[in-house]
Amino acid sequence: MRAGRGFRLLGLVGLLVFGAGAFTPLANWLNAWMGGSARLEPADAIVVLGRGGADSDGVLTNRSLRRLMHGVELYRKALAPRLVLSGTAEETSARFTLAEGLGLPAGTIMRAGSAHTTVEEADRLGQMLLPRGQRRILLVADPIDMPRARAVMKRAGFTVFAAPTAATGPSLPEARLALLRDIATELAGWAYYRVAGIL
Amino acid sequence: MKLDAPSLAPIIILGLTSAGAYLAGTRLGGLHRRELSRATMDVLGALGLAVVFLLGNLAVGTAAVLGLRAITGQFISVYVVSDATLPILSLVQAMIFHRWRERSK
Repeated sequence: MRAGRGFRLLGLVGLLVFGAGAFTPLANWLNAWMGGSARLEPADAIVVLGRGGADSDGVLTNRSLRRLMHGVELYRKALAPRLVLSGTAEETSARFTLAEGLGLPAGTIMRAGSAHTTVEEADRLGQMLLPRGQRRILLVADPIDMPRARAVMKRAGFTVFAAPTAATGPSLPEARLALLRDIATELAGWAYYRVAGIL
Repeated sequence: MKLDAPSLAPIIILGLTSAGAYLAGTRLGGLHRRELSRATMDVLGALGLAVVFLLGNLAVGTAAVLGLRAITGQFISVYVVSDATLPILSLVQAMIFHRWRERSK
C-alpha cells in the first residue's frame, strides 16, 4: 500500500517535470542560465569544440554545424586571427571543408588532434596552442556545455572568453524536452567530472 | 513562469479529445464517473514505475558504457544512453510490469 502511494507520487512528479519541461520555458531559462553572458573579446584563437561528430557521409550534426557557423561569424568580426576546430577526425575534417567553402583562408583554419571527450579536447588544444603562446581563446560551445567546457579549458591553462552559440533555445514542446534531456545529461557529466577529480 | 501559446497546442488538442472520450465513455460506453479518479491514480502508479525503470536503465547503461571503456580501452559515447527511445521503452516496460502485478493479485 505504501509502495503504491510512493509510485503514484513519483508518477505525479514525473508528470509535472514532463509538463514543465515541455509546456513552459523552464528548459530555455536553464539554457540561458548555464550559458551565462558572452565575453566577445579579442583573443589568440577561436576554438570551436566538437559536438556529436559527423555522419559517415560527412554531414555535421545540427549542433556541430551551429558551433562552426558561430565560430566563422566571430572570425569575420576579426576577434581572432585563427579558427581552431576540435572534435573527432571526421568532424574536424567536415568542418574544415565547410569553413573553407564559406570563404575562410585555409591558412587560418587549424585542426586539433582527434578527441572524443572534453578532457581529450583540452589536452589536444593545449599541445597545439599553448607552446605557441596562444593562451587567450574565444570558446564556442552550446550554452549548456559552457560551464564544464570553460572549467576544463581553464584547468588546461587557457584564458577563456565564453562565446555560447545561442541564448534562449527552442520554443516547441518536443525540442524543449530534448533540451531538458541534454541539460540533465550535461549535469550528469559535470557531476562525473567532479567525482572523477577532473574538475 | 509564463506559458506561451504555440506550445499549448498539444494540451488544447488533448483537452478536446479527452472531453469527447469522457462524454462517449459515460453516455455510450457505460463507464462510471466515480472510477475515473481511481483510474487516474492507477496510471500515476504506472508512471511512477516507469520513472523507476528509466532511472534503472540509465544507471545500467552508463555503468555498462564506462565498464566497456575501461575493459576494451575503446571509446564508447555515454550519449548513447540518453537516446530519446529510452523513456518510451521504459514506459512500455513499466506498463507490462504494472499489468503483470495487477493480474497476479
